[in-house]
Amino acid sequence: MKRTMLILFVTLMPILSPAKNVDLVTLPKRNTVELTIYNSEDITLAKETRDITVKKGNNQIQFSWAGTLIDPTSVEMRILEHADKIEIEDTVFPGQKPQHLIWNIESEFEGQVPVEVSYFTSGLTWQMDYVAITDPEEELMKFRGYVRVFNSSGEEYDDAHIRLIVGRINLVEKIVDLAKRYGIAAPATADNDYKKLQSAVLRQSFAYASTVMKGRPAQDAPADGKKQIVKEGLSEYFMFAVQGSETIKNGWSKRMEAVKANDVKFDILYRMRSYQYGARPVRFFIWLNDEEHSLGESPLPDGQVRIFRENGQDGLSFLGQQLIRYVPIKAKIEINLGPDDLVVYETFRHGTTRDNFSFRRSSGREYVDGWDERTRWVDSIRNYRTKPIRFELRRQWAGHVDYSSEIKTKLFDYRTIEATFDVPARGKQLYPCMVVTHNGVNKKQERIDLKKE
Amino acid sequence: MACMAAVLLLAPAAQARIKLATLPVRERVEVQLDNGTYTLVEEERIVPLLKSTAENGNNRIDFSWSNTQIDKNTILFRPLAIRQGGKFRAIAKADGKEEINVINVAYPPGENALVWEVYAAEACAAKVRVSYLVSNLNRSFSYRALANKDETELTFRNFIQLRNYSGEDFGTAGVWAGFGPKFLKKIQQQETIKMLLHRFEKVPVNKTFTFDWYKHGQLNPAKPLASRVLMHYELVNDEKHEMGLFPLQPGKVRIFIQDGHGGEAFLGEDIAKLTPLDDKMRLYLGESRDIVCTRIMKENKRHNVRGNLHNQEIVISYEIENFKDKACQLDIVEQINGLCREYAGDPHGDAEWEQKERTSKGIDFSYPTDKVNPVLSVKLPARPKDKAEKVKKQVFTFHLLIKNVW
Repeated sequence: MKRTMLILFVTLMPILSPAKNVDLVTLPKRNTVELTIYNSEDITLAKETRDITVKKGNNQIQFSWAGTLIDPTSVEMRILEHADKIEIEDTVFPGQKPQHLIWNIESEFEGQVPVEVSYFTSGLTWQMDYVAITDPEEELMKFRGYVRVFNSSGEEYDDAHIRLIVGRINLVEKIVDLAKRYGIAAPATADNDYKKLQSAVLRQSFAYASTVMKGRPAQDAPADGKKQIVKEGLSEYFMFAVQGSETIKNGWSKRMEAVKANDVKFDILYRMRSYQYGARPVRFFIWLNDEEHSLGESPLPDGQVRIFRENGQDGLSFLGQQLIRYVPIKAKIEINLGPDDLVVYETFRHGTTRDNFSFRRSSGREYVDGWDERTRWVDSIRNYRTKPIRFELRRQWAGHVDYSSEIKTKLFDYRTIEATFDVPARGKQLYPCMVVTHNGVNKKQERIDLKKE
Repeated sequence: MACMAAVLLLAPAAQARIKLATLPVRERVEVQLDNGTYTLVEEERIVPLLKSTAENGNNRIDFSWSNTQIDKNTILFRPLAIRQGGKFRAIAKADGKEEINVINVAYPPGENALVWEVYAAEACAAKVRVSYLVSNLNRSFSYRALANKDETELTFRNFIQLRNYSGEDFGTAGVWAGFGPKFLKKIQQQETIKMLLHRFEKVPVNKTFTFDWYKHGQLNPAKPLASRVLMHYELVNDEKHEMGLFPLQPGKVRIFIQDGHGGEAFLGEDIAKLTPLDDKMRLYLGESRDIVCTRIMKENKRHNVRGNLHNQEIVISYEIENFKDKACQLDIVEQINGLCREYAGDPHGDAEWEQKERTSKGIDFSYPTDKVNPVLSVKLPARPKDKAEKVKKQVFTFHLLIKNVW
């Protein structure tokens, strides 16, 4: 088993020569472990507390992490008690022993002291996924968000307190690269200060995370066994803290419920945007990450959303899946379920005429160099569902276009019209429009002018 | 093969992967084929659960599979009911806490397996449902159309094929396509099961003959002005035409005809497109040799408007012979944009045109796609019954003006 080890040398050695030692050591076990895992970068701050026994004078504490993905530059030890009497004099990374370090400690105190060892490691990651199950009428849904923690760090973390950070951070070097580098990298001259500053900021944010969580009530699992995931805003980030402790063995992953909402209302909207979704209208489920929709407790991190429907036959139907990007509180969630065979869209051109010709004269003859083209279009939407549907039509037109329709229409952008209307249950709605395109020298613009019908 | 084990000994989270377990059998399996891309399998099992205690922890339910293409990330575990006195009752909530709760799911490394940690307030037998998406268990549709001898009605059978190459035996499972009946079938590995979704009887069918010069070109060098005449069966997916129960999915249609002697003859096959409700399904039957249509450009006259702007007056004559013993209708598709390009010039988009007075009265115009691709439908009498009498050419004229061309 690959493990981090904290070793207390019981022999006193005034000058270090670790490679030649035959050591007699004690192995203080971990009292607690706390993991703070980011999802935007492969970085985790591990904090563990152990008890060591020191004697007056010089002590040597060895820390080793063979076979794991710990960044050696990040390993720090903090004395938690009698700190005024115990001084860490220096940290030595022995050349002949990779993945080892030795702290030389000068102590005026003799006895047992708790210490906290912290380091950045890689290989611990997490991700979210979501499951929504609608009722057969597609009016309300049960929405669940699951957090899944993956441990491929090379280290076993038993009974660890886990915090998960949502948000993007900036790293100048990957932890996994630092972990695999032999020895300690020579400091980069140009950005050394910047790196130090970054490291300090990162630690500060992690430290704040711990402070926030320390004010929480006791974190034992509740009576129904279900562990709560406590959510907390943190600077530009958001933190999910798993109640109680979890054991995540190396190579394993674990999935826990983090978001739970029942009776979530949602809207269904059909969108016809041939330039974006293809030739058929697509069905969207849309709701907000807010209180009105039984959500809004926290942002929703990136993750796959899978939507099912209770099919009325004592089973589920799978409607579709889509990856959502980070959804802030009060922001909209839109899931594209693809085309629906029960909603049919067709478009017809009902004839074209041309007028407003202009001519240029050349060699005694006249040539057409400008004209307007008028085309009547009628779009038809047939709804075979038992409920009315909301339909949004967006259509792009190239060139200089005068556009009119008897159905309320607005411009989405300079070349795209947008109209939203209802289509009755088992009914049909027509969307007629007149498109006048100015061509040749008649073309003065590259945009649509909305005209009254 | 998918297998579920309830580990009898309540083990700590870091359990070894050596297990003593009961293997709850599948009580019910449902294969949901209503999504054309993904197939959802749901299975119900009765799982014995022990009471969760602080000393022993929670129940661990191990679900593993081998040689089966289950999407690990889609597996759902839902406790449904608790057995009480031989019957199942809903899972109750006491003080806002459910009697059975899924605490977490752990995924061991390098294995097609997962372990649910499940809390139970009391020892019980719980009915649970496990759902997952599986690959290589999919559906396709096919049709068998049997026409009566007169080709006026069809018996139209809609089949669904379930193809199981997922690597899993599902035993007897419910199968549902999202419409039509629900089937109960034994689904074994590498099996394809064809099931009749619906049999539509006495479906009125319209046999069409279509002539489209710009699409099909010259018939042969010996008949340079004639083009192919294609035959289709046209059926409408609505209640009036004895259909209209659900959208017809794309699939192969094999077409047969009653031979009048108690047998059937194979007419051909086609791939049907998705046919929503109220839409027409057109099935290509082949080429008709008994209808010959010759298209002759009788007039092509340019009328100058101003400068290079002009109108083009065109007269097309269709000389049609019907050698069949039945009267029929021929649909002639004229592509006005193609006509404009060939005789008048660039249409600059869709050609502007109008029908003129010399057009034959016997032509019915329709515009199934748009105004620039009119369909000219003409009625053709059957060939004369008198053996001495020759087939008379039916002549129709299409007179049109293509406007504002340059």
